[in-house]
Amino acid sequence: MPQVKIIAKNFMDMVASLPAIKLDKLYNNVFICEAILRSLPPLAKKYVLQMLYIDVPVPATMMEEWVLADGTSKHRVAIDRLIQLRIFSEISDRKRGTSYSLNPTFQNNLQKHIISGGVLPREPMNSDNAIKLPSLQELETYALKQWECFLLQLINSGQGEKLTGISSSMMKIFQRGLLSQRDKDGPRLTESGFQFLLMDTNAQLWYIIREYILNAEERDVDPADLISFLLELSFHVTGQAYNLNTLTEVQNNTLKDLADLGLVKLQQGRKDSWFIPTKLATNLSVSLADSSARKEGFVVMETNFRMYAYSTSKLQCEILRLFARIEYQLPNLIACAITKESLYNAFDNGITSDQIITFLQQNSHPRCADRVPSIPENVTDQIRLWETDLQRIEMTQAHFYDEFPSKDVFEAACDFAREWRGLLWEDSKRMRLVVKSEVHNQMREFLHTQSR
Amino acid sequence: MVNSIKGVFISCDVPMAQFIAHLNNSLPASQKFIIQVLKLDTTSMFVKPYAEEMIRDAVIKFRDENSYAKAN
Repeated sequence: MPQVKIIAKNFMDMVASLPAIKLDKLYNNVFICEAILRSLPPLAKKYVLQMLYIDVPVPATMMEEWVLADGTSKHRVAIDRLIQLRIFSEISDRKRGTSYSLNPTFQNNLQKHIISGGVLPREPMNSDNAIKLPSLQELETYALKQWECFLLQLINSGQGEKLTGISSSMMKIFQRGLLSQRDKDGPRLTESGFQFLLMDTNAQLWYIIREYILNAEERDVDPADLISFLLELSFHVTGQAYNLNTLTEVQNNTLKDLADLGLVKLQQGRKDSWFIPTKLATNLSVSLADSSARKEGFVVMETNFRMYAYSTSKLQCEILRLFARIEYQLPNLIACAITKESLYNAFDNGITSDQIITFLQQNSHPRCADRVPSIPENVTDQIRLWETDLQRIEMTQAHFYDEFPSKDVFEAACDFAREWRGLLWEDSKRMRLVVKSEVHNQMREFLHTQSR
Repeated sequence: MVNSIKGVFISCDVPMAQFIAHLNNSLPASQKFIIQVLKLDTTSMFVKPYAEEMIRDAVIKFRDENSYAKAN
């Protein structure tokens, strides 16, 4: 069985975690097969294509001969991946050893797909209908605006203003790992939440989609159907219109949620309604590693701790508010200042000085990014100093022991406490000991045995 | 029989230790909280359980007194 532990970093890891029955159902869709083929490591792709028209199992020893000696580890990774996704079945025979064969469903559908060519999941609506479609630029602007509205609502659940159509119960699911649910002050962004905001858009999107899929069964939706539809969606052409009448009810409901996230744009004519995929949707089957585009920076930090952010974005303003004091908010400029108090608010929420400094460096304005360092040293040093100021006193619940009957008993007790990693302090001259409270019960029992 | 006392073990730098010791001395006898001073330089001490929150609050107050925030 697979030696590589599955950590869901992309769609395919979620696919790999589906049970066998659902996987076979998934592989009935030729576009799923193509998407999965695309996602495979290079060697795994080669094995699939090489065995596409081989119906009998291929011995493992024969496959090992297909690679050079120094390719053994890549070979192993490729095989494990194929087994995880159940593209390969492993057959063990006492006489002939291990063999691999292709999943028949996957094999047949991939054969069909190659023979019939790249037919799209559904035809775009023809332009005769006099539909006025948004340009690609307008579509991208729309997608990012929708996504930003979603993020704003995600981190400001306290605000009454509702920016998207996503239900509050769904929003709470998305917020689960990002906001702390302290009752007193209402939800506040956690360290994980701040880390989430630092991710690039594709990584953020993947996190949200994963939560959406994992929660599907609570909405009486089959996760396999959802994965199937989302992967299928990534094969649609960005900017083309597709009629809603080709979709099932579940797919229609999903599409409304996706519209709120900015993955599709919904439009209505007199007779028909249609959806238009944005770039966010077509990126869904792309591996996270592929998206290396860097956002342009917008922050200018001065040595007097004043910060100027050249941004029209409300979201960026809210992010800055997490650790800086907003002083002026102009249409395309946010003037703010790093202060001790604003940083303490951030530290209280679990945001660390390293995260803040990384954020400032990564979002440094192009005019400043070339300077070394891009953020003035006195600012970064002071941020770290203010954080350590909070950590000057270390307090541990503990027990203090003294009046040991003999040196031997004292030393045995010290060794015992050390073994349990509970020893905080010892004074061998006066035979005194301080031990963490968690270890107190064990210590008490140990001391009882010593007194017998 | 070995004697055992429940409390809080504190480890800090010298100025903070002086601050805590001063706080302890400024209280009436019934409210003093330091059980044992564990190091000659007073960077480690053992205090009563209730003192943990009291010390945190006192430190925060002390820190606030030494900082100025412009009114919004």
